[in-house]
Amino acid sequence: MYGIIAFFRRFYFSLLFIALEIISIAFVVTNNYYHEAGYFNSSNRIAGTVYGAYSGVTSYFSLQNVNHQLAEENAQLLNTVSKTKDTSTYKKGTLTNPFGQQYNFILAEVVDNSTNLPNNYLTLRAGSEEGIGEGMGVISPTGIVGIVVKVSSRYSVVMSLLHQKTLVSAMFKKSGTFGSLSWSDNKDYRFATLNQIPMSEKVKQGDTIVTSGFSTVFPKGIMVGTVDNFKAIPELYFYTIRVKLSTDFKNIRYVYVVSSIEKTEKDSLERATQNALNDKVK
Amino acid sequence: MIELGKNILRFSFFILLQVTIIRHLDMGAYFNPFLFVGAILMLPIRINKTLVLIIAFATGLIIDMFYNTMGMNAAACTFMAFCRPRALRVFAPAGDYNADASATVNSMGIRWMISYAGTLIFIHHFVLFYLETFSLHGFFTTLLKVVLSGIATLILFLITQSLFFRNL
Repeated sequence: MYGIIAFFRRFYFSLLFIALEIISIAFVVTNNYYHEAGYFNSSNRIAGTVYGAYSGVTSYFSLQNVNHQLAEENAQLLNTVSKTKDTSTYKKGTLTNPFGQQYNFILAEVVDNSTNLPNNYLTLRAGSEEGIGEGMGVISPTGIVGIVVKVSSRYSVVMSLLHQKTLVSAMFKKSGTFGSLSWSDNKDYRFATLNQIPMSEKVKQGDTIVTSGFSTVFPKGIMVGTVDNFKAIPELYFYTIRVKLSTDFKNIRYVYVVSSIEKTEKDSLERATQNALNDKVK
Repeated sequence: MIELGKNILRFSFFILLQVTIIRHLDMGAYFNPFLFVGAILMLPIRINKTLVLIIAFATGLIIDMFYNTMGMNAAACTFMAFCRPRALRVFAPAGDYNADASATVNSMGIRWMISYAGTLIFIHHFVLFYLETFSLHGFFTTLLKVVLSGIATLILFLITQSLFFRNL
């Protein structure tokens, strides 16, 4: 017994150090799991307030840029509307959702953003109170931005496309050939890599890449970027394509969080079923 | 008591500086200074080393919260705090530190500060950046990042000291 106490007294500094390191590394490892809820992230009130105050000051500097982006988006939307006056091509809706609307877009202000770290995140001033949930896609007027990973009542954290773990299913607009988009070189905020495009595809520089819509995270056809250059990997019969991203990640002020109506419906149905089952058990 | 107040103020200053201004100094992927470690470096020389360990861990967690890098800064800061007593011993002037010596340029001189702060900043950045990439893939790219960011942090730290902590 005395020996143990003597041991602790002698090595308490090193033991404390090892204990703290184990705690830190455990945080690092567990936080890698997607849905692990942690309190220590920028969606909590302290970080949110600091970032909110900071962006309150700095947002004035980018007003001109934001205005320009919004005006451009307006023009684009007007063009789309004038092209699709004929509504007969719309998917048939239901009584509560007459136009077959599949997605809700929730406006959110970006209060923090980074582009130069190996794993980048954005903090949005909008949370579960506005209807944002984990796993929802985030887009900007010019293209895709990322995926929501943490939500508090008034703030949410978005895993940027500029993150080692982001994988987005993307396709060629003209042909529909799809592959997976990632940020593998993780140095330049302007480019991402599109993998697994078969060599049968006729790739040209400047080809448009959009989201494929295979998951419910992003709607189909959201702009991703254009082909910058490409390299064939003959042994795998695949192309590796460098994509110039259409989103200017340095100047994001307002984004839309994409909430899939079908997914929400599905989730609430599943929850109701689960509750009914639980009641029965009781 | 005054000493405690000064230290708390210094920590708040460094953390706010880090998360508002330094974080947005966009100098590309190779320069990510982490100036806030200066607050830990500037703790009194004769302070209890266990206390430094705990303070460093807590500071790291706060920075992690802002950077969404859960645990990485905490691990790096704890490691740096663990190495601090040794670094202090290695760089001790002939005849040990004076009773009223503090870890500032004014008290210890610029050469001492560069070797002491440089070493510990490098250790911190080394642990942090390798945890961040979480692989040995691109080993030398990350190493270059460690060195360049470390130099940036050191320069910013020396500037901050000469601007704000001249008589502390």
